[in-house]
Parts: sequence; C-alpha cells; structure tokens
Amino acid sequence: MSQTSRLGRWSMLLWVAPAVVLLAVFVYYPVVDNVFLSLYRWNAFSPKEVWVGLDNYVNLAADPVFWSALFNNVAYAVVSVIFQVGGGLILAAVLEELVHGRWKGLFRTVYFIPAVISLTITGLLFQFIYNPQIGLLNQLLSGLRLDALQHSWLGESATAIWSIIAMSQWQSIGYVMVLFIVAMQRIPRELYEAAYIDGATRAQAFRRITVPLVREMTVLAMIITVSGAFLVFNEVQVMTAGGPNNSSHTLGTWLYKSAFFNDQMGYAAAIAVVIFLITVTAAIFQLFLNRGKVVQY
Amino acid sequence: MAGNVARPHRPESPGRAVTGSIGRVIAYVVLVVFAVAIIYPLVWMTLNGFKSNAELFGDAWGLPTTWRWENFAKAWNLGVVRYLLNSVIVTGASVVTTILFSSLAAYALTRLRIPFAGAITVLLLGGMMLAPTVALIPLFRLIQALHIFDTYWALIILYTAFRIPFTVFLIRAYMITLSREMEDAAIVDGASRWQVFWLVVMPLCRPIIVSASLLQALFAWNEFVFALVFISDTNLKTLPVGLLAMQGRVLSDWPVLFAALTMAAIPMIVLFLLGQRQFIRGLSEGFGK
Amino acid sequence: MRTTTRATRPISRFFALAMTAGLVLAACSGSATPTPTAVPTAAPSPSVAAASTEPAASPSPNPSPAAELEGTITFLHKYSDPRYAPYFESVVAAYMAAHPKVTIQIQAESDQGVKDKLRVLAASKQLPDIYFSWAGDFSKKFVRGGLAKDLTGDITGAWKDSFVPAALDAYTYDGKLYGVPITLDAKYMAYNKKLFADNGVAVPTTLEELLTACDTFKAKKIEPIAFGNQYGWPAIHYLTQLNPYFVPAATMATDYDPATGAFTDPGYLNSLQAFADINTRCLTKGSNGISHEAAQAQFLAGKSAMHYIEAVEFFAFTEKGGAPADFANNWDFFKLPAPASPAGDVGTLEGAPDGFLVNPGSQHLDIAIDFLKFLTNADNAKKLVADLGWLSPVQGSATADDTFAQNVTVVQDIAKAKAMAIWLDTVTQIDVANAYLNGLQAMLDGTKTPAQVVADIQAAAAKAKTEN
Repeated sequence: MSQTSRLGRWSMLLWVAPAVVLLAVFVYYPVVDNVFLSLYRWNAFSPKEVWVGLDNYVNLAADPVFWSALFNNVAYAVVSVIFQVGGGLILAAVLEELVHGRWKGLFRTVYFIPAVISLTITGLLFQFIYNPQIGLLNQLLSGLRLDALQHSWLGESATAIWSIIAMSQWQSIGYVMVLFIVAMQRIPRELYEAAYIDGATRAQAFRRITVPLVREMTVLAMIITVSGAFLVFNEVQVMTAGGPNNSSHTLGTWLYKSAFFNDQMGYAAAIAVVIFLITVTAAIFQLFLNRGKVVQY
Repeated sequence: MAGNVARPHRPESPGRAVTGSIGRVIAYVVLVVFAVAIIYPLVWMTLNGFKSNAELFGDAWGLPTTWRWENFAKAWNLGVVRYLLNSVIVTGASVVTTILFSSLAAYALTRLRIPFAGAITVLLLGGMMLAPTVALIPLFRLIQALHIFDTYWALIILYTAFRIPFTVFLIRAYMITLSREMEDAAIVDGASRWQVFWLVVMPLCRPIIVSASLLQALFAWNEFVFALVFISDTNLKTLPVGLLAMQGRVLSDWPVLFAALTMAAIPMIVLFLLGQRQFIRGLSEGFGK
Repeated sequence: MRTTTRATRPISRFFALAMTAGLVLAACSGSATPTPTAVPTAAPSPSVAAASTEPAASPSPNPSPAAELEGTITFLHKYSDPRYAPYFESVVAAYMAAHPKVTIQIQAESDQGVKDKLRVLAASKQLPDIYFSWAGDFSKKFVRGGLAKDLTGDITGAWKDSFVPAALDAYTYDGKLYGVPITLDAKYMAYNKKLFADNGVAVPTTLEELLTACDTFKAKKIEPIAFGNQYGWPAIHYLTQLNPYFVPAATMATDYDPATGAFTDPGYLNSLQAFADINTRCLTKGSNGISHEAAQAQFLAGKSAMHYIEAVEFFAFTEKGGAPADFANNWDFFKLPAPASPAGDVGTLEGAPDGFLVNPGSQHLDIAIDFLKFLTNADNAKKLVADLGWLSPVQGSATADDTFAQNVTVVQDIAKAKAMAIWLDTVTQIDVANAYLNGLQAMLDGTKTPAQVVADIQAAAAKAKTEN
C-alpha cells in the first residue's frame, strides 16, 4: 500500500507532532536541564549562578535528611506493596468470591471513593484525625481504654511518617482492589468449578488459579504503587511539610523545601536527578522481571 | 500469603457449602468493618462541617446539635467557589487537549506508517516513567521564560504533557485490537485518513476515551505540585492549593474548613458515581490487552 | 457494542459541566456573586471581599498632590486571615477611589504560605510591586539579591518623622532604608487572672518563679502554658526572648550576622536548657502536632493559665475581637521573665515591626510608594489600630480612646525597651534558622538534647559563613 507519497508520509508526522513536542519540551528537556542545574549553586535571590561541580551531590551523600527521606520513600514503597497490592488482591478475591449482586457494587464503590478524593482534602482531614487533643484516633484509643497508646501522631518524629503512610493505604487500597477485580473478572469461572470438583479449598484455588492469572495486573499494580511511593509529595506537604525535625520528609518534599525554603535550588536539582534515576531504574527493573511471562490459560 | 477466605481441609462441594459458612461470616464481617473504617472519616468530615467550633473541640464523636448550613455558605464565599471554577476550567481544558493529542498520536502509531514510528512510540510511552516532581525546578525556569507563569495555560499545558504517555498507552492498546473492517470500508469509499479518524475510529473508541477522560479529569482535578508552584494569584488557584491556603486562613474556625473540604470532595465523588460503569469497563478493556 | 456515532465528547464531561452549573446556580442564589475569572490572562480582578465588615472609621483619602497616577500594581501581604484581610481591601479600595486610573491587585497569603511563595515569585522574577517581608536577614536576602528598592530617598520629611524610629531601624541595612513598617509587635505571656488568683500564684518576676508557678498549676491539674508548635515558630519565639537574656548583646549581634556567626558562647546552651526546663514543667505535651491556634483556643476556653503570644493577637482576647465577656475582663500579660542572674540584657524585648518592601523592577514605583504612604498615614494607622487591634509604628496612632487598655500598656512598654529582639527565624540566615527550628522540634519530642542542638547551630553558622 504505497499510495502515500513521500511528502504524505512526512506530513503524517503532524498527527504525533503536538504530543511529541509537548513531551520533548516539558517532560524530557527538564530531565536534562536538571543535570545541568545541579552543578551550580543558586537560589531565588542570588543574582547569578555559581559553578560548584559535583559539590551538591557530595553534600547530598553527607546529608542525613536525604537518607532519612530516601528511607521514608522506601518504607512507603514496601508498606504500599504489602497493603495495597497484597491487601488489595485479597480484598478483591474475597469480594469476588463471596459477595454477589448489588452488594458487590456497593462494597466496591465504598472502598474506591477515597481514591477519587484529592490528597489535599484527605491530608487535611487526617491532620484533624491525628490531632492529639480532639482527633478521632486518640479519642478512639481513649474509648477503647488504650490511653497509653495515644500519641501526637504527626508531632513526633517516630510516628509522623508512619501516620502519613497509613493514611495513604486508607486512600489507595480501594483503587488497587478495583484494578484486581477487573483482572479477576476475566478469569473463566470454569477453572474454579473444575478445581472445586477436584477437592480444592478456596484458599488453594486462590493460590493456584487467581494469583497466577492476575499476574500482569499484579505487576502493573506494583509499578504504580512503587513509583507512586517514590514520588510522594502532596500528602506529606499538607500534613507535616516534612517535620517535625525533618523526620517525615520524602525526597519530593525535601526537594521542594530545599528549593523554596532553604534557598538551595542547585541542591534541589540534584535531588531531582536522584529521584529520576531511582524511578526509572525501578520501572525498568519491574518491566524486565515481567518480560515474556504471560500465563496462558 | 495464605488466603484466609474459608476453613481449609474440607473438600468443597459445588454449589453452596454449609461447612464454609462460618468462614463466610467472618469474611463478611471483615468486609463490613473495613468498609466502615474506610467511609467513617469522610462521614466525620461532613458532620464536622455542621458543627460549631465549641462542639468540635468538646465532643469529637457526637452529632452536631444544630445543622449549621452557614458554615458551608461561609466556606463557599471564602473561596471555594473560585477554586472550584478554576479547577473546572483547567481540568476541562486539559482533558480535551490530552485526549485530542493522545488519540491523534495513537491513531498515527497504529494505523499510519509514519517515519520513526518505533522511536516515537518509545518516546511517548517512556514518558510514563518521568514524574512531575522531578521536573519542577527546570520547568520553573521554563514557565517563567515562556511568560505563562501564574496563568491557566501553565497548568493546562503541563497537565497535558505529563499525561499524554499514559493516555497514549491506554488508547493505543485499545486501538490495536480494534478490527479494521469499518475503517477499510470507509477508505475504499474514498474517505481521507482524517475523516476515518473522526467518523469511524473515535466513535468506536468511545469506551476507552471515556475511561481515559475520567482518569485525566481525576489527575488534573487533584494535581497539587504544579498548581502550588506555578499559580500565585489567589483568584487563579485550583481546589487543592486553594484549600491549603484556606487552612492557613481559617486558623480558628475549623468547621468552616471542614465544610470546605466536604464541598471540595463532592464533585469528584459524584463524577465517579455517575461514570463508574464506563470507568470500570474502560479499564477492563484497556488493561485486558 | 454501542453504535452511536455521536461526537467524541464523553458523557462524563457533560455531567461534570452540568453539575458545575448546578453548583454555581445554587450558590449564586444565596451568596455574594463571585468574580468570574477570565480565561488565561495574568490580570484578574482583585479578590472579592468576603463579607467585609464596615470600617469603624472611614479612611480619608489622601489625594496625591502630584500628577495623576496611572497603572496597575500588585500588592502581596500575609494577612489572608478573614479577620485581617478586609482592612487591606478597604484601604486599597479607598486608594483606588481617590486615584481612578490606578488598579491595585491584592495577593493575600497566609503567614506560613508567604514564606515559600515569596521565594517562588522571586525565582520566577515575578515579585509583586509591593511585597511583605519580615525584618532581619529575611529582608536582607532580598536586598542582597537586588530585589528590594532603596527607599532612603523616598521616605523623607514628615512621612519619615511620623514613624517610631526603632521601626525604621529594623528595616535599615548598611545605613539605607529598604522597608515601610506597618505594624509594631511584641511578644508577651498572657495569663488568666482568675486562675492565678484562685491558685495563689503571683505574676513571676524571674524565670525561676515562672517555673515554680508552672509546678503549682500542674499539681492542680491545670495546664500551665498552652503551647502548640506546629510550624516550628512558636518555639523559636521562646528562644528569641531567652537568647538575649543569656548571651551578651554584642556577642549576639556578631553571631546573628551570617558573615561572623559562630555561636560559641555558653549562653546559647544555657538558653536552650532554659527552654527545655520550660517545656518539661510548663508546656503542653505533644506540641509538635498541635497548632498555635488550637493552643490559643485552649487558653481562651480557660483551660490553661498562660499562653505566649504576640501583641497583634491580643485583639482576639477582647470582646470586640470575639472573646467571651468573662474572659475579656480577666486577662493581662507580662514579659517572659529573665533568669535571676542574667548574663545578657534584661531590657531587651522580643518584637519587631512587620512591613513591606518595594520591587525595584516595578513599572510603577511612583504608585507603589504613594500607596505605601497612604497606607501609613495617620488616618489609616488609626483605622488599623481600631479595626484590627494591632499597633502601628505611626506615632500617636494608639491612644486610650481608640484601643483597649492592654494595647496602650504595650505601646508604653515598647517605648521603654532598651532594644528589640527580632524573631530568631527571620533575623538569622536560613541555615541557622533551620538548625534552630529543627533542633527545637527535636527537643520537644525528646530526640535531641540542647547540647546536640547547639552543635547543629554551630555547624550551620559555619556553613553560612562560607556561603556568603
């Protein structure tokens, strides 16, 4: 079908031109620019930029807040995978198996709703829930006679980031659950019937049939949660802005604070480069793990 | 990861099994408790919007004694209306541009033999790995150089650029599996590529477009970093940033803040409830490939 | 499969638009009409006054004697709180009424929000024509970056003389004046007179007496000092007053200067230790997670005996400012007392003016300066005192007739002070300020000792020296 002239083929590029141009300018160019910007020291007030070479990276390696932020992101990723992917998978399976008809839709909707609400809203809401004096959590603990467990959840270095991570699970478990439900609905019912006739328990059916057949979705869910975990910004910024004492910073909020509070934009660019390297590596790694392992049924 | 779904060690008979019923009950209870835990904070948030400051401090669990709708009116006037409008404008515009550019690109990549197709595909899909936060500082200088700082355009352009990869991914995956009968028929009838795109392919892609639109709307409506940095004027702030600013303002009148949060959460919830079925269908058709 | 050939607009977007229309219609029926914002431009109309209270005294427009002023300027302040914003809106409105060809766009930020907002704007070369800035190194940053106009030649004559000299000093760097102050502020310990009387506690005159008073209250299960440290600055404010007590004035001045800061004097450690003692014996537990306003609410509700606040916040304790009558007649204040044998200067009072800087790149410097002159004229200064309960640096603006008793006392107290100590987090360079902010937060939740915090501060000061 070579009816298209040469000019015609090149004019077809117009179809992709808007997308490509937008991406090149606003998504790819910044990645490169970050590297350059990270080699200087500059801020909002300095009239010109000062070349410092790799100083920013050296400082980064020596910066305890950077490592603490990195740890927080990793913690975020691990917890999210366990609760959102693992928990979401189990919830989806339970919902699919046990609940039918209108109730299934109701449960699904209820679990999903937090995911459509802005993180600012949930962040501010949970700021109140975690309030040591009037918040729901401490009041609940008090009601359960567990006063000793009360904390200033967002005000203590030890609990701040975990409180935020917990909120994030509340928000997103329904989203991942729905993804799994979508995947599970494509599994033919006959497979289960056959397994039950052969004497399998529900647990075994889950392990041997459900889990392998939703593998693609599992990988996708893991990619989403892990990369999301390294890009966390909104909820942390809203709930603690990284405090107290920089204990709840994630790489994203530390980047923001370095740039717009601590007057260190070059340093912030260095953090950005690190985030980029981590997220790209994680994504490639996960995709690589999944190469060619499609389960046929 | 053992499934704790039913009591093990007993063979299941097909159909309803009495022996697993205790397991079923436990599972039901877990589901319900979970559902309550999920929904209660939102209920609490809404109820708090009706309370007075004193009630809020005094009795966190209780119901409001009178239903103070004036808190909602106050929140509305303090800025929620403005932020809502700004969010609608930015979200609506970015949905249109994202879907438009992404479907054009997806169509071109799946139906037209354009030069560098492979490289372009990698470029477009690879963008999914690049995150807004990472690009913040360079974009900062870029937006300022383009003189679109503190305008809607800054957000619309950025939301489009950063969501094209994912949207192209969705639409392209869907288009690949579309049968080309109707398109070929139209071409034989003399339709141009452009006409085939608009009159044949796009209507066929309706499920994935709806789903992609909903996802784009969700992203744009709740986006925070760019809205925080690139919009300064109070009148142009979108909802997430505006709410944060409100929190800084109503430092002592918390029920008003709760009222604002409630009102801000409603649009997306309603949108989701209305579009749930299309959304799920679109997801399943998109991810099934 | 659906066979409609409708256009590509999904149903969802239609619903979203319909819903929005519904929401807007519902709102319009019962509330003030919002100003619709224009699609992508950079010049929307100024913010709508939300239920603006009628001003107590209408400001008299001071017609500019010069040629007709014309143009648009932007005006950024940190008083978005609905208690304060209406004052600025009405002053701007009055000015615009007197100068029909001038438009002033207000950008109202919150106290915390303005901190990063200013840097974002500075970095994107979009600083407003007039913008708020704290005194100290905070403003000096803008001066160093060439982002603040030298106003020495503009603020002269009668205008200059109308100000309390100390207020102008706070915005003077290297002998040149860069800012226009609009409020005067000082920090005091407010106390509940009834709780003091009922428990036989006298107003403490030394730090040790204060701690003992706290013990008394604590034994009676009354919270001694209501304290919320959510953004970190409330703790800083304690240190701002304590540092001058423990460190000799000259040493402190040298250390606060980023070019020469070392913080090696043992007084800094003693000051932090004193705060640690205050925290253990007096302050609310878990304060990092409590906002300053929430703590204030506790004090207003009569649940704690004391609360450390700024004079600009006193208004909330008066009936006109919304406090219940039995509370409004029942409070007074004292300066945070010094230790019995201070190494530093007892006469220093924590406080500073707040003010505005002018962007030298402004296209309308004449309008900007004229507006600032208008904002600080006698009538508007009196209005500020009457409406907001603040103190103005314009002399003679706060008298017994137009403000409450405690404010008048503050004016006298400020006049008596030997020196003013500007807030520690704005007077020092950002790294040192951060070391204090973070260190104090860590001390409050028990993860750092005062000695460790001093080490951090010294390291930060060393870093600041090299970077300058």
